[in-house]
Amino acid sequence: MTAVTDKIAISGIGCVGAFGCGTQDYVAALKRGYVDALPQEKNHPDGTSFLPALLADTAHLTDYVPRRALRRIDHYARMALLGGYLALADVGLSSDQCEKLGVIVASGYGALTTTFNFLDSVLDDGDSCTSPTSFSNSVHNVAAAYLSMQLQAFGPSLTVSQFELSVCSALHTAVCWLEQGRVDKVLIGGVDEYNPVVNDYCRQRFSDHDVSIGNIDPFNFNSCSTIAGEGAAFLLLTKGDKWCGGESEQACHAPYAYVGALSSGNFSRLDCKDYSPQVGQRGSDLMIIGADGQCDSGNLYSQLQFDRPTLSCSPCYGALPVGQAFDLVAAALMLREQSMFAVNRYQTGTNGNNVNFVPKIDTITSLKIAPTGQFGQIELCAGVDRDA
Amino acid sequence: MTSTVVINGMGCVCAAGNNVEQIVDSMLSGERYVCSAPPFATSHPHPYPVFSVTSPLHDFGLPAEDIVYLRTALLGLNAAQQALDNSCWDMKSLRSLKVGVCIGTTVGSSMDVEKFYADYRSGKTPDMRPVNCFYDGNPATIISKYFAFNGPCQTIVNACSSGTDAIGTATMWLRSGMCDVVLAGGADELCRTTYNGFAALQISSPELCSPFSVERSGLNLGEGAAVMVLAREEIAAEFQGKESLGYILGYGSGTDAWHLTAPHPEGRGLKQALNEAFSNTVKNINDDAVDDNGAIVERLAFVNTHGTGTRDNDCVEGAVLSQLLPKVLFHSTKGYTGHTLGAAGAIEAVLTLAFLRRGQIPASAGFSTIDPEIERTPVTENTTISSDIALSESLAFGGNNAALVISLNRSASGVIS
Repeated sequence: MTAVTDKIAISGIGCVGAFGCGTQDYVAALKRGYVDALPQEKNHPDGTSFLPALLADTAHLTDYVPRRALRRIDHYARMALLGGYLALADVGLSSDQCEKLGVIVASGYGALTTTFNFLDSVLDDGDSCTSPTSFSNSVHNVAAAYLSMQLQAFGPSLTVSQFELSVCSALHTAVCWLEQGRVDKVLIGGVDEYNPVVNDYCRQRFSDHDVSIGNIDPFNFNSCSTIAGEGAAFLLLTKGDKWCGGESEQACHAPYAYVGALSSGNFSRLDCKDYSPQVGQRGSDLMIIGADGQCDSGNLYSQLQFDRPTLSCSPCYGALPVGQAFDLVAAALMLREQSMFAVNRYQTGTNGNNVNFVPKIDTITSLKIAPTGQFGQIELCAGVDRDA
Repeated sequence: MTSTVVINGMGCVCAAGNNVEQIVDSMLSGERYVCSAPPFATSHPHPYPVFSVTSPLHDFGLPAEDIVYLRTALLGLNAAQQALDNSCWDMKSLRSLKVGVCIGTTVGSSMDVEKFYADYRSGKTPDMRPVNCFYDGNPATIISKYFAFNGPCQTIVNACSSGTDAIGTATMWLRSGMCDVVLAGGADELCRTTYNGFAALQISSPELCSPFSVERSGLNLGEGAAVMVLAREEIAAEFQGKESLGYILGYGSGTDAWHLTAPHPEGRGLKQALNEAFSNTVKNINDDAVDDNGAIVERLAFVNTHGTGTRDNDCVEGAVLSQLLPKVLFHSTKGYTGHTLGAAGAIEAVLTLAFLRRGQIPASAGFSTIDPEIERTPVTENTTISSDIALSESLAFGGNNAALVISLNRSASGVIS
């Protein structure tokens, strides 16, 4: 792991997913341990079927953006906007204070549905009559562009697409921006949307997924229990012990957590038999792994022999490439509340839901392994008491 | 940690040639290898010309049926291999270091699977190969895995500034100590989806593009890839023992926050990108005699512009050049390469360094008549340059703007030694 030398703080959090909207809804889901998936109709000409999915509702976006301004903005970008606005609202930062905000969006698939809408226009109307609106809204950086436009954020903007490792990869760059003083705050998040072509049809063609399973069973590494999810999870990163700003200059926000270390590379170079992510003299108190019921990556997770309590939050948000963004949000919330909640957990020699009290949580490591055999891990460290 | 970022190697493949030397030679000879129609079927009544890579790509010894890479990934691998060969880094040394890969693209990360989707819609059982290509074709992952590197991997999808942002991001990784070496660049292939999309936006030209010229009627799409081997100077000195090709002295970016597909009319984001790139350069040179952006501007030999040939882009870029760099020579190389989207910024960065090394820049292909709205003329013939530092800049959909300051010498002395 590469230690992050400067204090890079998670000062604000915003998230939207099947669990609801905002950190309170997410904490409630984490305490329950899962969110019920709803069946989605797959209406393919070879037959209709119903597959479970964990979908997000962006109705609350009108709390921040006038309905009229949302006319041409699709569901994918709306999720990103809502996640971003919630993270800013968490620290009382209004959109007229974002001029020097950096924006980084991580996404595995980009605007999938609008991409297929554009292909629909090609197939239905011919090459000469395609939809310019669909095309311009299908470019991969559309969510970051709408965030910048709505927030009037003129700082650097970056969109990263690295499938399962998009979030870890993006965080590397966010840390650089802050360490090197490009900006004093970065809004970084992950967003991906559900689409039946990819999440149902392609997944079924690639695997023998048992669709009768009600929830993701992340620690049953040999069973495919994946359920597609969608949503957005954003962090407002700042530099230093506390960040003062927002609507009142007097209001200072102690962070949820700090980014302690980052690492990425080939899974084959991880020491699976003695896997103990560690920076400095001691290791992490908890692990959150990105296992989400997918067989191919499950096989890689199964090779690790963890030496500490290990959790998975995926039953609360579903399987999506940027799931690690939700794991970081969960880690930050756990560090603030000093609780493991009731999420799926595994401890050496056991595999169940009734363990294990950790007296003090100082560090949590998030590990995501891609089916391609690459990994990304991020260590978060506890901040000072946020309510102090 | 702050380090100087050196360029140890570079590779490029595009319509103008299969390697950097060939490309520069062909440009200085005024050759434009345009194809009158794209390399795929189209029902446009009058196909738009494109700049295709027509020579065969190196297949890396894989039998054809095993290649599940997108063409974008193959273009990227070809450029990466060239860059490594050009650098004299040996793979044993590289694999002992933390080597990152940062690649810009558009098509390489988009699910443009038209045939698959057409079959799906019509109730057939589509061939999954295009979907496999998409999943397995992420350009940064492919390059990192192929060369067995073990470091951060990032595919940047900032539309047409992706290649510039990838090189800029790599320099930040190196300066922070996250990596010892980074392969950075961009790759993009010609694709029906982008071809139809740009036609829908009415910014594709039915003629050869003519950047900055009053009669310009849009852009020509192209394909290609370029990769630089970048390293922290102290690491390069320890392991490579070869003089560097050049230096990345500054990177900047800025966002218009204005419109999805049109640049801010006053070039707000572009100005910010340039100012940040110049400020970084001042900081990185660390010379008391160079204490403000103006000192960098005075030393610039030329600007390799984004220069697509669309009305809006060239107007905005021309206006910003007039305002911030009124005396600096500029040109566009898109008349030789086409607009290669996510690869464009990387190709132009590599060409900028190559031109500095030749001491000469080619004429801005396609230009004939000054546009009164721009009031500036790009170089109209091959031009000798007399400084060791230059600027490469990119504008993009989504309001992204990015710029790189590239130099032959660490001190950017302003003279060619």
